[in-house]
Amino acid sequence: MKLGISLFGVLAMCTAQAAWADVPASAALRDGFIAGKLDWSAVEARAKEEGKVNLYYWGGDDTLNVWMDSVVAPAMAAQGIKLNPVRVTATKDAVDLVLAEKNSGKGVGEGSVDLIWVNGDNFATLKQQGALYGGFAQRLPNAKNLEWDPSDQRALLNLRDFGVETNGTEMPWSGEEYNCSVNSKRVADADIPHDFDALKAYLEKHPGKFTYVKPPHYIGNTFVEEAIYAHNPDGTGAAPFQQSLSEIKPEELARLIAPGLEYLKSLEPLLLNGASGSPNYPEDNKAIDGLFLNGEIDFNCKFGLYGVAKGLSTGTYPEGAKQFVFPKNTMIKNKNYLVIPSNAPDGAAAMVLANWMSSVESQASKLKEVGMPSGIDSWKLNKTDADLIASSSPGLVGVTQDEMDANAAPDTNATLVNVIKATWLEYIERHNPAPIAQIVAEAYKTAK
Amino acid sequence: MARREDIALTSRLSPFQRIYLLLIAGFIVGPFLPLIIQSLAFRWAWPDLMPGTWWMQQRGKSAIPLAWDYVLSPYSHIWEAAINTVAIGTTVTAICLVICLPAARVLARERFRGKGAFEFFLSLPLIVPEAAIGMALLMIFIRLGLAGSFFGIVIAHLIPTIPYMVRMLTAVYQGLGKDFEEQAMILGARPMQILFRVTLPMLLPGVVAGALFTFLVSTNIFLLTFFLGQGKIITLPTLLFAKISGGTLDASAAGITLVVTLPGIVLLLITERFIKEEAFGKGFGN
Repeated sequence: MKLGISLFGVLAMCTAQAAWADVPASAALRDGFIAGKLDWSAVEARAKEEGKVNLYYWGGDDTLNVWMDSVVAPAMAAQGIKLNPVRVTATKDAVDLVLAEKNSGKGVGEGSVDLIWVNGDNFATLKQQGALYGGFAQRLPNAKNLEWDPSDQRALLNLRDFGVETNGTEMPWSGEEYNCSVNSKRVADADIPHDFDALKAYLEKHPGKFTYVKPPHYIGNTFVEEAIYAHNPDGTGAAPFQQSLSEIKPEELARLIAPGLEYLKSLEPLLLNGASGSPNYPEDNKAIDGLFLNGEIDFNCKFGLYGVAKGLSTGTYPEGAKQFVFPKNTMIKNKNYLVIPSNAPDGAAAMVLANWMSSVESQASKLKEVGMPSGIDSWKLNKTDADLIASSSPGLVGVTQDEMDANAAPDTNATLVNVIKATWLEYIERHNPAPIAQIVAEAYKTAK
Repeated sequence: MARREDIALTSRLSPFQRIYLLLIAGFIVGPFLPLIIQSLAFRWAWPDLMPGTWWMQQRGKSAIPLAWDYVLSPYSHIWEAAINTVAIGTTVTAICLVICLPAARVLARERFRGKGAFEFFLSLPLIVPEAAIGMALLMIFIRLGLAGSFFGIVIAHLIPTIPYMVRMLTAVYQGLGKDFEEQAMILGARPMQILFRVTLPMLLPGVVAGALFTFLVSTNIFLLTFFLGQGKIITLPTLLFAKISGGTLDASAAGITLVVTLPGIVLLLITERFIKEEAFGKGFGN
């Protein structure tokens, strides 16, 4: 045992030495660049000194993994930076790591995460904990590819992440819109539902042929939010849900979300295995894809603008799959981002990577090879670049871009999402008999 | 000699015993069959008994490497994970032996105050949930700068492996008895000679079994590796978990699963013969 302990000590000392970081230089570069005192060439020079960048991203997609290794890594190497792509099982793992290191006193330049692919509550958590690097995004050279003017409604997707102001602390990477797919070999066009009532009517005829991803996974949260928008008792859809937790009273929120949650509760017996009393809610998008491929469910709702085109090319979707508009007018549209945490060890290299990721070249390549929608704004591009992006798209299957645009809705404020998912878990998953107002009030307390 | 015994043994099996053996074999081999088929499929949907489209039919048509092409490509990171797994397993086994051999000798032969409590203390890591150990260790390791490092993981792996190894080696020492060593001493052997000529050869089968077990445990630890590796150090279990966490097994996940079983199978095949002959042949001098 003694040997073990002394060995432990020796190793600890060796590695602590190796983990030495150039803290003042990291902080000086960050502050100088964000304040506009240093220009981009200083960032590039510093990035070469750092020499590496640790990108943490959800690694469940083979196509994206291949793209990272075969396209992004060489592009970074050309700039003198070694890309270290870390595939995580859930984005929350990377966020937890940042916070754990921050709580252990690892500050600027001393952590291990440089860049995270993130959006929604994971970003809100980082912001709330003060674990953001700073407002770098609008200072990047490729910020010109995005709309930042707050007077333009379309800029909201770049300025707010699930309603939370980003203040340039994260760079938009991909655009998404929630949509559903159907296997046209199993369901006739006339039977495809386009709103929540029609979905229920369909399930009464075909019980068990639908389910949605389980909250708190963001794909599940989004389905719940869409149901809440559609059942908004005031008929104002997404509008009241743009406020943050401090702007809306618990009683008011409870009143607004109650009809949607009542609907979801009434849907439970009609979901997959719902007749047995314990409906099957899949854990994530891979799991729901499996149910859809096997014909256990008729409709597959998730983010994935080009999900069908991609699923057909990789064999994860059944032949005959196509997209359809559901639910009318409340299909949540948002962006996902690349965020730099406050204790990033290679902040300059992270900015160089974030900048490259928002170039026309990389966006077109990502669109074509991974099927991930463009995150830059086509109206900010010149004609050649806009055409390149348009022609790289794998294409929608069964719906038009106009239909997708016409039915888009903004996502829910991330601080409210926390309350909504907690309420779903309590009211639907744990069958808490208390009134929704009481459950919401409880969730408010824990959220604050 | 051995072969004749085998034949004699099988011919004596009753029909019930044969069915029983077949069932066991079925349970062990059975799960591999759908895995192998899935790893060769492009699209395999219910209720098809066999994949509707095979990987070979789509090979070259898809933009990315599919199924085994992906698994064996550098993109899957499987070689990196395999090398890490074997390197960590070997290091853990070696350190574990160095720590446990002297400890087991004392536990088997000496009596001292608080021995019972000490033995209980040794098995504590098996009782405390791995997640609790992992979280606490992570906070400590981050401060020490050990998180995300090779040696951090090795140290973490020692926690659940030492209790097993100590127990196995203690049993071996107890079975050995002091007599042989005393005999050698009486015949004039020096301490070093006794260690290398008498004690170690007689302990060897137990040591090999313990080392094999430690190696297998180490190569299967997911949670501690995941926490302390911080995703930077990938091993076969963390790679596999990332692939199958959704509960859906696609072709590349099935392929990776098959590869993950390989080190264990290879090791068992190599050592099985060795342990059998050593342990039951000469080990205890029967």
